[in-house]
Amino acid sequence: MTIPIIKVQQLDKVFSTDDMLTHALQGIDLEIQPGEYLSISGPSGCGKSTLLSIMGLLDFPTTGKLFFEGEDISQLSLEQAAAIRNKKIGFIFQQFNLIDELSIFENVALPLRYAMEPVSDKKIKERVDYCLDIVGMTSKAKRRPTQLSGGQQQCIAIARALVAEPSILLVDEPTGNLDSKSSDQIMATLQTLNDQGTTLCIVTHDIRYAEMAKRKVYLLDGQVLGQTQF
Amino acid sequence: MRKLILQYKQAWASLKKKPGFVLTVLMTMGITLGALLCVVTLNYLLLVEPLPYPEQERLFVAEHGLIGAKKETKAVAYTYPGLVHLYKSKQAFEQASMMMYGQDVIVSHSSQPLVNIAYVTPDLHQILASPMALGRMFEASEALDTNNPVAMLSYNTWMQEYNGSADILEKKISLSGVSYHIVGVLAEHFVEPELEIIGRKTQVWLPWDYNQAGKWQRQAFDNINGSLKFIGLLKQEVSQSQAQQLLTPLVNDRWQAGLPGDDDFFKGWTINMHVRSVKDRILGESESIAVMLLAGVVGLVLIACANISNLFMARTAEKQRQMAIQAAIGATKKHLFKAMFAETSLLMFMSIILALVLAQFGFYIMQQYLGAILPRVNELSLTPITFASAVLVTIIFALFFAKLSTRMINYRALNTTLQSSGKGSGLQVSKKTRQVLIASQVALATVLVFANFSLLKDAVKTINAPIGFATDNISTLILNFSSSDIPSQEEAKPIMAEIMEKLEALPQVESLAQGNSPLDGFWVRALTSVANNEKYTPFFKSVDHHYFNMIEQPILQGDNFTMAQRQDGANVMIVNQAFAKQLKADGDVLGMQISTGRPDSFKIIGIVKDITIPGDSPTDRDSSALGSGVPRVYVPNGLGGQSFMLKLKSGQTVSRKQLGTLLAEVDSRYSVFSFNAASAILTQTLFAEITTAVTTTVLASLVFLLAGIGLYGILSYGTQLRRFEIGARMAIGATRKHLITMIIGDNTKAVLAGFIGSIVLFALAYISLSEYIQPFLTWQVLPMVVATLVLIILVTLFACYWPLRQYINKAAIYSLRGSD
Ligand SMILES: Nc1ncnc2c1ncn2[C@@H]1O[C@H](COP(=O)(O)OP(=O)(O)OP(=O)(O)O)[C@@H](O)[C@H]1O
Ligand SMILES: [Mg+2]
Repeated sequence: MTIPIIKVQQLDKVFSTDDMLTHALQGIDLEIQPGEYLSISGPSGCGKSTLLSIMGLLDFPTTGKLFFEGEDISQLSLEQAAAIRNKKIGFIFQQFNLIDELSIFENVALPLRYAMEPVSDKKIKERVDYCLDIVGMTSKAKRRPTQLSGGQQQCIAIARALVAEPSILLVDEPTGNLDSKSSDQIMATLQTLNDQGTTLCIVTHDIRYAEMAKRKVYLLDGQVLGQTQF
Repeated sequence: MRKLILQYKQAWASLKKKPGFVLTVLMTMGITLGALLCVVTLNYLLLVEPLPYPEQERLFVAEHGLIGAKKETKAVAYTYPGLVHLYKSKQAFEQASMMMYGQDVIVSHSSQPLVNIAYVTPDLHQILASPMALGRMFEASEALDTNNPVAMLSYNTWMQEYNGSADILEKKISLSGVSYHIVGVLAEHFVEPELEIIGRKTQVWLPWDYNQAGKWQRQAFDNINGSLKFIGLLKQEVSQSQAQQLLTPLVNDRWQAGLPGDDDFFKGWTINMHVRSVKDRILGESESIAVMLLAGVVGLVLIACANISNLFMARTAEKQRQMAIQAAIGATKKHLFKAMFAETSLLMFMSIILALVLAQFGFYIMQQYLGAILPRVNELSLTPITFASAVLVTIIFALFFAKLSTRMINYRALNTTLQSSGKGSGLQVSKKTRQVLIASQVALATVLVFANFSLLKDAVKTINAPIGFATDNISTLILNFSSSDIPSQEEAKPIMAEIMEKLEALPQVESLAQGNSPLDGFWVRALTSVANNEKYTPFFKSVDHHYFNMIEQPILQGDNFTMAQRQDGANVMIVNQAFAKQLKADGDVLGMQISTGRPDSFKIIGIVKDITIPGDSPTDRDSSALGSGVPRVYVPNGLGGQSFMLKLKSGQTVSRKQLGTLLAEVDSRYSVFSFNAASAILTQTLFAEITTAVTTTVLASLVFLLAGIGLYGILSYGTQLRRFEIGARMAIGATRKHLITMIIGDNTKAVLAGFIGSIVLFALAYISLSEYIQPFLTWQVLPMVVATLVLIILVTLFACYWPLRQYINKAAIYSLRGSD
């Protein structure tokens, strides 16, 4: 049995606002194996994004355990979490989150610039060119994010997520801001990446795209309702 | 109406979510507008508001100018007989009064207080229509040469010295051996025209006949006295210049005729009468202080305004998306402006309330501390003018900020904002805009902080300037003689000798000198050099043989006075370096003969080092051109003088009462006139400088506070606007260190640009105002430049880190989502 890249056990997340407590996640157990293509779906507000951000170390669970490549990482400092995000995890968001004032090239290069062990400029150029090539955006390297269409911006976000050769890509509604044609293209690109061995975990409530995954997880009110495996 | 209320409710709700923003606006605008209202009220009072007297527009003073042979003004002061001549002539003025200011001790009072006196003819209070609390004002019965011993008290004197006793009009007070019947008490709201020293309040009013001029002075046309004044109502049909033309020959002819024939010091001199309005006289040089204060505060308001503009622009940028949504559902440009105006006017309204409270507090501070520098500050209060300015300022600023904010919105591009971007990119304000805002803020702050440092340094320098003599433990005792038949020098000699013996025997006293301290004043004396007949008007003082030792003023050449010289009234003189240089370029003046106009001339026997008395400037321009100290001469005093310097042993004190008892034992006619520590007199002399220093310190701190708040505000807003970017960077693995370095790095560029901008501003100022700035440009500015830079850098670093901490010390998701 291989070691799962991410494993969560009895995960709970409670948000407390003013006078209200929201149980966003309750007793979630989940494993993601290397090379897997997993989709998480469910109605709005069921806790998909919350689960994804906890798995991606953007947020911390209220209780429960979290393992990354077999290591217990439930008690990480902010700095350690940043280092793991940088090296092991690639994020793709619904709203792209590119940095307007940097060129496309620099946007893609950014994770390497934050790397613990400094990466040489030559290596950076190699990696960025390679990743831009994968998403077919080599020609746009010198542009700024604001000069690209939404679909193109999401391609850049994918390239950025890939650049540090992460163990897993965490994708939250990648097509939420796109028309159907761009969406299809993005999903095709992701599919190709998975075919080539990249581990994918994607949050979507588009049934069509959820169906493309090899394993599907349904959430309802912060609990795993069911799983389907192909 | 209901719509309007709703609009304000919404504005309030929206502002409540940004307490930091509201607080910054409130503090900045509240403080600066408070200062503005204060200074506007002051300027209105001084420059526009009529004096509180009926027919105040016809109220004029006539000044008596002595004009030298070269048409230069030598002095502005009356001779006693000249003033009386003018008064009796009844020319040009419908009614006028003579006045003389002085001080005396109320001997009849148990605490024997020293009070300010004004000796006046009855006309004064009739002209001013002075309101009375009790009794009557002076009348024909107290006219010139009636010698009727009555007195009027000020309201405060009645309250403080006589506890407001109801039977005050049955009481008598005695001063200098005369017992006066109290006939009236002035009303509390009576405002005395400040014709002599700003802030001086007359406590007891006495008839002119009892003034302190000696018999000799009353006849002397060659003696001037600065405390003599002439004030009156100009005749309806006579203009100011007509009055001058009428009075000048009248007074000049009498003066020329009255001068002693054997004295050629005044040869070629004339009298010029200058008639000016009382308002102008009272305002004097205060006009420039008031206007400069106004300019300073307007500058302050401008920085504040720049600060707040930056904040509002940043806020609009932040609200761009929300406005786009409003536009999408049909809001017009006007709607958006109205909503914005509701916010800005609400903010300005709150600020102005704070400003009014602070202005009221400012009036109090001004009355406490600026009463000796600015006239009429006692009349300061929140007037309709203050409220009108407040309303005006509120409306102007609210409109300005609302306009500025809505102008920034690119209405056409609003839809694009909505379509193209998710919350991530839509809120990123362009780096260029951010950096321009920061750079302009830094440039402004640097210039202002630096300018204030320089001002402050100047004031502190005057305060700390070495005076060149000792004041520690030295006090001046001046005696009061409470009888009208003043003893001659010969009669006084043995009494003074006995008093000195007793004073010296006091255990607290270390040493004693006869005569008063340098801070108690110098005379001005007309002198002529016997060798070349040149004329001089140096400061003049008669001192004893202990004087220079006691105040530790070094004798550089020659000898000190001796007891024998004092006894014989020897014609010897000690001069200071400055006068020696004036007499002879090489300063070698020992043995030179100086004439005072009397047959026997004085021989210079010694030269002392210069001293500096704050506020003293040379009496004529020739000597100030020499640049160095003020020329002073000293002659030995007689043995009958009624003032003493006491040097006490350190840590010891002597009370006024103890001295009074001592005096009474020797001769009951003597009492204490004044007993003041030299250091206290020095502090008083420095009062103007200290006040300037305090005012500049307050202004400088305000400027720095504002500049700091502004810089912090814009840097922190810059950081807040970058929260999604920060979140995105955190998501891909940026650590705290990366982000802090990034923010500091980005801001440093802008701050550097700001510094360069301030250098450009200075260069521009230098080109246009080089003659004012040149003297400032020495190496001494270097520490101030460094201090300014350090302060700005510290604020910058703080403003970089502090707003950032809320993002980098939390899970990345908080920055990404935009929830707090
Ligand atoms: N920062 C927060 N503070 C309070 N409650 C929160 C916070 N973030 C999320 N929630 C709540 O947690 C629940 C799950 O939110 P989450 O964003 O994970 O839903 P989601 O499944 O991603 O929904 P969608 O499909 O609409 O994106 C919701 O009820 C939401 O209101
Ligand atoms: Mg979601």
